[in-house]
Amino acid sequence: MNYLSKEQLQKIKSQFATVEYDDSQAEPALYVARSEFLDLLKSLKEKVSLSFDRLANYTAVDYKDYFEIVYNLFSRRYNRWVTVKVKLEDHDNPEIESVTGIWEGANFEERETYDLMGIRFLNHPNLTRILMPDDYDAFPLRKDFVPLEPKIEGGELVWHKPSTIS
Amino acid sequence: MAQTEHYILNMGPQHPSTHGVLRVKVELDGERIVHCTPVMGYLHRGIEKLMESRTYTQCVPFTDRLDYVSSMNNNWAFCGAVEKLAGIEVPERAEYIRVICAELNRIASHQVFIGSLLIDLGAATGMIYAFRDREKVLDLFNIICGARMTCHYIRIGGVIKDAQDEFLKETQKFVDYVPQMLQEYDNLFTGNEIFMERLKGTSIITKEDALRFNMSGPNIRASGHEYDIRKIDSYGVYDRFDFQVPTGTKGDNWDRYRIRFEEIRESARIIQQALDSIPAGPYMAKVPKVLKPAKGDVYHRVENTRGELGFYIVSDGTTKPYRVHIHRPSFINLQALDTMCKGLLLADAVAAYATVDPLMGEVDC
Amino acid sequence: MHNGILYLVTQDIREALLPIAGSEIIVNLTIMALGIALMFGLVTGSALIFTLLERKVCAFIQVRIGPNRVGPGGTLQSLADMLKLMSKEDIVPQGIDMWLWVLSPALIFVPSALIYAMFPFDDGVIFADVNIGLFLILAITSQSVLPFLMGGYASNSKYAMIGGMRTVAQMLAYEVPMVFALMGVVMLTGSLKMSAIVEAQTDVWFVVLQPLAFLIFMVAALVESNRPPFNIVEGESEIIAGPFTEYTGMRWALFFLAEFANLLSISIMTTTLFLGGWHGPEFLPGMVWFAIKVMIMVLVYQWIGWTFPRLRIDHMLTFGWKVLLPIALVNVLLTGIGIYVFNWL
Repeated sequence: MNYLSKEQLQKIKSQFATVEYDDSQAEPALYVARSEFLDLLKSLKEKVSLSFDRLANYTAVDYKDYFEIVYNLFSRRYNRWVTVKVKLEDHDNPEIESVTGIWEGANFEERETYDLMGIRFLNHPNLTRILMPDDYDAFPLRKDFVPLEPKIEGGELVWHKPSTIS
Repeated sequence: MAQTEHYILNMGPQHPSTHGVLRVKVELDGERIVHCTPVMGYLHRGIEKLMESRTYTQCVPFTDRLDYVSSMNNNWAFCGAVEKLAGIEVPERAEYIRVICAELNRIASHQVFIGSLLIDLGAATGMIYAFRDREKVLDLFNIICGARMTCHYIRIGGVIKDAQDEFLKETQKFVDYVPQMLQEYDNLFTGNEIFMERLKGTSIITKEDALRFNMSGPNIRASGHEYDIRKIDSYGVYDRFDFQVPTGTKGDNWDRYRIRFEEIRESARIIQQALDSIPAGPYMAKVPKVLKPAKGDVYHRVENTRGELGFYIVSDGTTKPYRVHIHRPSFINLQALDTMCKGLLLADAVAAYATVDPLMGEVDC
Repeated sequence: MHNGILYLVTQDIREALLPIAGSEIIVNLTIMALGIALMFGLVTGSALIFTLLERKVCAFIQVRIGPNRVGPGGTLQSLADMLKLMSKEDIVPQGIDMWLWVLSPALIFVPSALIYAMFPFDDGVIFADVNIGLFLILAITSQSVLPFLMGGYASNSKYAMIGGMRTVAQMLAYEVPMVFALMGVVMLTGSLKMSAIVEAQTDVWFVVLQPLAFLIFMVAALVESNRPPFNIVEGESEIIAGPFTEYTGMRWALFFLAEFANLLSISIMTTTLFLGGWHGPEFLPGMVWFAIKVMIMVLVYQWIGWTFPRLRIDHMLTFGWKVLLPIALVNVLLTGIGIYVFNWL
């Protein structure tokens, strides 16, 4: 797999102040602050010398005290990869701007991330639950998740918070 | 005063042609589609969450249940990701067996596609012919690993069992049979006037739309974008084989059908080359009994039969993955459904689901 | 005088009964009742047999074996199905229009059975040889659209409603070319009487004189009887089962039986109008020739049905109005010219 070259990295770093490059992991990643990430993604996509035009993968990880949004971008033209990560420090009320303005195809994946991880996407065209029931009141992929109990009350399915945690 | 109203028709989750439990809310004006919204989640089993509480080896069978008609490719995607994470080298022979199995699986999956497309168009006979030949592939899987659909054959570090001579011989027989099989399909339905009339020029996805919706697999190739991960971002030993990536021109239902048809031919070619050059040697790498990959995250993707299937795995250094995310092609491809169906008739919507080829096990994950 | 075997048998019975009953009216009524019983036996019996035949033919075309468990070689399968359907729970959905909903499966069988009265099975063996026979048949078959629409409307289901609407649309589009195609036959015969039409084919069958009309009639007949590839009314991959989506058990079975009765009646119509009816070489009785021709037509219709994909509704309507209708009109014109030239020669 090819990743960003040193010159490109230098260029990006000079443009975006908050970008940090971490190549100690299995796959190197660009860490960027929430204030700049949209501009960074836009320039990664639109600059001809970079042209990371495909959002290959998109997800969020719950690290217990913060969330991390992961964008795996692929450039068809140069057969090159870059991973962009954004940390969301506010674990109780995670919010981030939607990237549907840049990649419209991220629509379902963002809805899925909202549904399972509970991250709110601003400016998303239709941010509703996609896999879980509409009235479900928990976010299953979070690490502190406790499954809700389904009960039928008066012919309606209602989800209850479990009373005891065994 | 006479006036007409739009009405909403719920197709699914129990409907003969939504391929499992997809529910599509179709807003209709008479029989013309104004809007259609896919609603999913009826088969959501929480595989991503389940994987967090299993060891890496125990995670592999879950992948069989994702896209259950092409389980070999799913196994490969997950194992490839773990191998990348743990730095395991897969032996040569195992790579070849993987290619053979994955391509056989691609043929089987495309036959399910052809079969289900035909039955959705009302030609039940065509479906039986396609499924008859799919049975031959499933029998091959039965020989090699004892399972037919949920194979769990490709494991971390290689394959679980060596490919017997019998398997290779039978596979050779099947590969020889493929051209004859495709000819039979062509004679039976490809040239049929009604079939062409229903598929040509309907549910067009332009190349721009396909790129916009992040589509992948045969669906994006039918729109004329040559995007095949086996070719552009090769994994395994695919770079050693000579094969074409068939692409369409218009992106209509007909192109999506023909692409699958041609891909069966190309898959057979790959299998032939793999059979000719399969080396001897071990079929499994030395993998520690307790797999503890180093801390870090990795994304690995393969060209599944439905498109780009990727696994994003985060390891925290223990025996269990900290987080697994599955990038499922069917799920992403479904986004195009509204664009495809707008302004068409109800019968076209059915053909459109069939050619997008979503598999609910994978969509709902 | 007629010389069909059944006719002669009837004459014998008539003569035997006359001294017992004493009055000619009572004899006639008895014969009539016997005939009606026979006819209903034929319709329901043939539907049962055709269910099995359909499944066997379909299995043959689809490289399968088909039903082979119940009875020797699976012959009792349709009987078992019938028993199962009768023992099933009769589910009545909510919010239906009860009267229409209950009437629809009962009424669907009426036109299917009624037209058998006008079919000449053999020389002189025809229930009601009225002099507007063909007209009556067409009038009755077009009534079969009403129960479908009733069922579709009453079921309180959108699928059923779409199916009901489709019936009307396809009915309108195909009844017209069918009637015009049959005009050619009527012009050649000079009569609407069914026996006269068969009589006129003693030397040459109408399939030779009216090939265009024959093809148009075949297509239109498939549409009228909702056979694949024109089964858009039930179109199981789009609208589940159309008008009978909400029906279960015996009510559903009635729709099902009517479908097979229709298959038989379109085969009989094709045979009577184009394939010379009971005519055939002398070594077999007319009745047998008639049965053979009908069976061949049934097989042909099933063969067509199991090989083609279903048409889309707009293609089908376009085909009916813009292709079949002009051809049928041209056929009428050509027949007229042909008759004129023939008389002039």
